[in-house]
Amino acid sequence: MASVAIGSGEQYNYDVVRKFTIMALIWGAVGMLVGVFIASELAWPFLNFDIPYITFGRLRPVHTGAVIFGFGGSALFATSYYVVQRTCQARLLSDGMASFTFWGWQAIIVLAALGDVMGYTQGREYAEMEWPIDLLIAVVWVAYAIVYIGTVMKRKEPHIYVANWFYLAFILATALLHIFNNLAIPVSLTQSYPLFAGAQDAMTQWWYGHNAVGFFLTAAFLGMMYYFVPKQAGRPIYSYRLSIVHFWGLAFMYMWAGAHHLHWTAIPDWTSTLAATFSIMLLMPSWGGMINGIMTMSGAWDKLRTDPILRFMIVALSFYGMSTFEGPMMSLKDVNALSHYTDWTIGHVHSGALGWVAMISFGALYHLLPKLWDTKMYSIKLINAHFWLATIGTLLYITAMWISGIMQGLMWRAYDDFGNLQYSFAESVAAMHPYYAMRALGGLVFLAGMVLMLYNCFMTIRQAKSVAAGGLAASAA
Amino acid sequence: MSQGNTQSSKVQTTGHVWDGDLQEYNNPLPNWWLWAFYLTIIFSVVYWVAYPAWPVGKGYTTGMATITYKNDKGVEKTTHWNTRALLMKDMQDAREFQKKYFDKVAAMPYEQIAKDPEMLNFVASAGKVLFADNCAACHMSGGQGKRAFAPSLVDDDWIYGGTYDKIQETITNGRHGIMPAKGGADLNEGEIGNLANYVLSLPGESMDAAKVKAGDELFHGKAACFSCHGADGKGNKDIGAANLTDKIWLWADVPGAGSADKQVEAVKAVIAGGLNKGVMPAWSGRLKADQIKLLTTYVHDVLGGGSKK
Repeated sequence: MASVAIGSGEQYNYDVVRKFTIMALIWGAVGMLVGVFIASELAWPFLNFDIPYITFGRLRPVHTGAVIFGFGGSALFATSYYVVQRTCQARLLSDGMASFTFWGWQAIIVLAALGDVMGYTQGREYAEMEWPIDLLIAVVWVAYAIVYIGTVMKRKEPHIYVANWFYLAFILATALLHIFNNLAIPVSLTQSYPLFAGAQDAMTQWWYGHNAVGFFLTAAFLGMMYYFVPKQAGRPIYSYRLSIVHFWGLAFMYMWAGAHHLHWTAIPDWTSTLAATFSIMLLMPSWGGMINGIMTMSGAWDKLRTDPILRFMIVALSFYGMSTFEGPMMSLKDVNALSHYTDWTIGHVHSGALGWVAMISFGALYHLLPKLWDTKMYSIKLINAHFWLATIGTLLYITAMWISGIMQGLMWRAYDDFGNLQYSFAESVAAMHPYYAMRALGGLVFLAGMVLMLYNCFMTIRQAKSVAAGGLAASAA
Repeated sequence: MSQGNTQSSKVQTTGHVWDGDLQEYNNPLPNWWLWAFYLTIIFSVVYWVAYPAWPVGKGYTTGMATITYKNDKGVEKTTHWNTRALLMKDMQDAREFQKKYFDKVAAMPYEQIAKDPEMLNFVASAGKVLFADNCAACHMSGGQGKRAFAPSLVDDDWIYGGTYDKIQETITNGRHGIMPAKGGADLNEGEIGNLANYVLSLPGESMDAAKVKAGDELFHGKAACFSCHGADGKGNKDIGAANLTDKIWLWADVPGAGSADKQVEAVKAVIAGGLNKGVMPAWSGRLKADQIKLLTTYVHDVLGGGSKK
């Protein structure tokens, strides 16, 4: 194995992987900072300072864009380019196109954030970007698909490794979702109208929104998990058969479930029922990934005591299991009647986003970074500190949102002895305040961990460069 | 790296190796996993049989569950389970539960409701949220009002009258108060200053006597203020002209002005610019008659600012 790593500078294109890795770290810190700020705005509204550009409504898509597409997207580009090359033993199809995906993707994140702040938006959740940016996304994504699929096709391994199936599903599904959700008629450079209307448009949006979670935030990060967990644990994947069955289970069932975001609205009742039942049937296919990940570590439990990277991964898989259990429960109409429109939803999303997506990315990036710069991490202690900050931050965040969300739901439906609503809406808002403060604190703790990671990675790269420069100087002399 | 060196060594890997050391065991699917998966499928099938589920042609399978509700004409209907019928039923059930009290509210004269402790409890309970969701945005959560925006409902000063009938009329039809601007062509700066001094002297502020006297003449003469606010300045509730002799100021921030000069400036601004923003929307389209009656009682007796006459 060590012999493969040496000389890989020529064998594989690590340049684009390094660039995406650095941007993942930077967008992570930026996106989480914005998240902490808008969480604080909700708890302490004076933070709006009466400046329209920094109000919650405009910064919220900046937050989601920076963490999902900036941090998550860059981490996926980095790991997928790394994994596909190493498991196919083939250099990326085209260095030029790979480089184009990097610069194109970064431009998209920046343009999207500028558009959000200035008020140019389609008003579609997680797809706020106006049509010129959407076109750029489509072009970059097609280039990504060509590079990725082309690399898989010229592989020197007879079989395609499981991680690559997940990355492939992610790339194909995201292209499909992006294009159909953003079909619109432009009227100017900064304005367009969606092709669909009313309930159909709502269904399109949540078909996109839910499957962005399914294929971008779940399948793709499972791909990441399927490479980095066995690598870090030094153990084979637990079950090949399980990986096949749960892969196809996820791929088949996710697409049906989006309408559960629209329970109790003006959509046809049968769509609600189908969405709820397919969400329930998604539970076990989702858990297949968790079982495979956790069972892969069995036999290497002792390493958890010493290896904070592996600890990130096991906690990520645990949060993954928990939020994929919570999701189907919330998709049942009766549970949804309580949870819908409350902070419970926000808590659920973040147990997946912080607990699963961010944690598995942290683990993968800590594994990846020293390999890319041919060195060791600057500080294992700092990784350990990051692990605890991330875990405590996530727990604070989701606990606050569970309490706040369930309280909201209960207050909205509470009746007094006369059959009158017991609370006004404003009273429920006032009751949420302490939990909003607690959520902002949880986010701050999580962000502190991210900043530690940024510092640790920066020092790692600097130390690698000084060693390389020293080596060069020595050989020159 | 080593692999398969512990308890799992009995299980074969698939035989493929990627990237030096990546392998996969060929463990079977865990039984509990498989059975749990089958259970979710059975659950779903039961759900499909019970509720609207699958599109068929232009329709859909309606499911076996039913809902019985009364339609708009009061005719009892039974349909397959659907959210619209469920909403109708829920609203009817809630209405049924409250009907006893709402019927009483509708039937009893205001004075009688005010004397009945049980009815007042109901009004306090139902009115609290009705008020918070519909009125509090302007009149604030306790009905205390907001200066230069919406009058207080808890004092005994009523622009349009504080009797049951007047409050009900205000809620039902809304109000739109207008005071013509007196600045510019009508009166000069000095005259408006004199008027302001006079108006401030009405509730007892000590003002410059000469200016008050000049203002008095304008008020009852050229400026024609008396035609709405009355010769005694006590206002006219029929047209919403405010009483100027009390110390309650809705538009001019006299209590918060700090100095006598600033008080004069605040009143001058209102006289010169007039008012065309005292708008309260009509609620007849949004609230039912018995809800308006209930809110009237709430404002009159629970908030407690209502007047007898």
